[in-house]
Amino acid sequence: MNNSVIIKGTKSGIILLLDPSLDFAELKGKIADKFQASTGFLGDAVMALSFEGRKLSDQEQREILDIIYETTDLNIVCIVETDERKEAVMEKCLNERLMELSANTGQFYKGNLRSGQVLEVETSIIILGDVNPGAKVVSKGNIIVLGTLKGNAYAGVSGNIHAFVLAIDMEPVQIKISDVIARCPDRPKKAGKHAERNPQIAYLENGNLYIEPLSRDAINDIKLF
Amino acid sequence: MGEVIVITSGKGGVGKTTTTANVGTGLAKLDKKVVLIDTDIGLRNLDVVLGLENRIVYNLVDVIEGNCRIKQAIIKDKRYPNLYLLPSAQTRDKTSVTPEQMKKLADELREEFDYILMDCPAGIEQGFKNAIAGADSALVVTTPEVSAVRDADRIIGLLEANDLKNTHLIVNRLRQDMVKKGDMMSADDVVEILAIDLIGVVPDDENVVISTNQGEPLVGNDTLAGQAYMNICHRVIGEEVPLLDLNIKGGFMSRLTSMFKKY
Repeated sequence: MNNSVIIKGTKSGIILLLDPSLDFAELKGKIADKFQASTGFLGDAVMALSFEGRKLSDQEQREILDIIYETTDLNIVCIVETDERKEAVMEKCLNERLMELSANTGQFYKGNLRSGQVLEVETSIIILGDVNPGAKVVSKGNIIVLGTLKGNAYAGVSGNIHAFVLAIDMEPVQIKISDVIARCPDRPKKAGKHAERNPQIAYLENGNLYIEPLSRDAINDIKLF
Repeated sequence: MGEVIVITSGKGGVGKTTTTANVGTGLAKLDKKVVLIDTDIGLRNLDVVLGLENRIVYNLVDVIEGNCRIKQAIIKDKRYPNLYLLPSAQTRDKTSVTPEQMKKLADELREEFDYILMDCPAGIEQGFKNAIAGADSALVVTTPEVSAVRDADRIIGLLEANDLKNTHLIVNRLRQDMVKKGDMMSADDVVEILAIDLIGVVPDDENVVISTNQGEPLVGNDTLAGQAYMNICHRVIGEEVPLLDLNIKGGFMSRLTSMFKKY
């Protein structure tokens, strides 16, 4: 059996897998053979065509199309390009757009998150309650805790370095923003001593995670795209 | 219709069984008809704490499997006419019973008893799921230690996830002297972390160990812990009893002074 030409079906059309090592003239012959053999199976469907495995010039693409017209009743309406570089750019754009959405839209959660509970959200999250030790909040956007944050908070998990974590009472076990993770000091505060209880904000700057009191300056530095 | 209360903690050794025995006995003393169910299959011990070990013929698993009638398995306490115990099986394990079966059993017992107390095993596995299946409310027992509080927090979360929202907290084995020195969390500290209603604080009291070993619950006698348990019982049946913290302080100080007087 010869595998230099393979026809693969997709939802919207067919993909032609071509052997890159063969001479184009030789390949044309094989394409013709292949389609000849599958005419009955393919019928006169309307579909899109794309090429894989080999870079083709416009001239070559046209020649292959001619072969298909000659050998089958297929109606090829368009040629879909699969360009990896373009795809990467598309994906990046999409991700950035999603990141923007996740940072700028949010939802509320009312109640305490207890040990073992994990709250995962696609957007920013505002928690009306405490996040206890052993609990975890994971958000693609920002995390705001209107209570005590004593557990883990992961903000901007899809790579948003502008995400922040804000809490009325900041005593976290771990905070992660984008890919940077920070943990609390090993020496905990003496139990029951809440000397200062100021809202604090955690943010990322030059790859370092900072926690500081929520001041006007800190608010000015927040970037919401 | 009776109320089903599960007594649970997550962590082991914080005093679930002792609490069950004392709260159950206390409620019986308050003229309520009470049955205690030991759901810790394989690690039976509520019967020992109550001093009823030698009367066990049938057990929980026998009832569930239909080897006997409920009436046959339930042991009547020799001292309190209103107190009954359904002991657990010693030779089986937690998988012998399903949550559905426990719920059915609890619903049957509701007809006859005012209170059904479930003594929950430690952990969050099958035994825990069995114990909470039929419960209307929960008493969460914890000691003022970070490990016990952490586990209690997890348990409260799991109870909430199972639609058991009526949960109350018992802080057990509190040592007021250590709290004063700042070496132990106070009941308030624990409540602040767990954010549920406090129903009682039981001081660390050697009389508890003595009474447990004798198989005679100390609820209602003149020891500090006995009074603390009795107060919990009053609150369970809906009476308003002043908070105990001050009592502990006063009681402890008077005990201290009486100790000094001795020497």
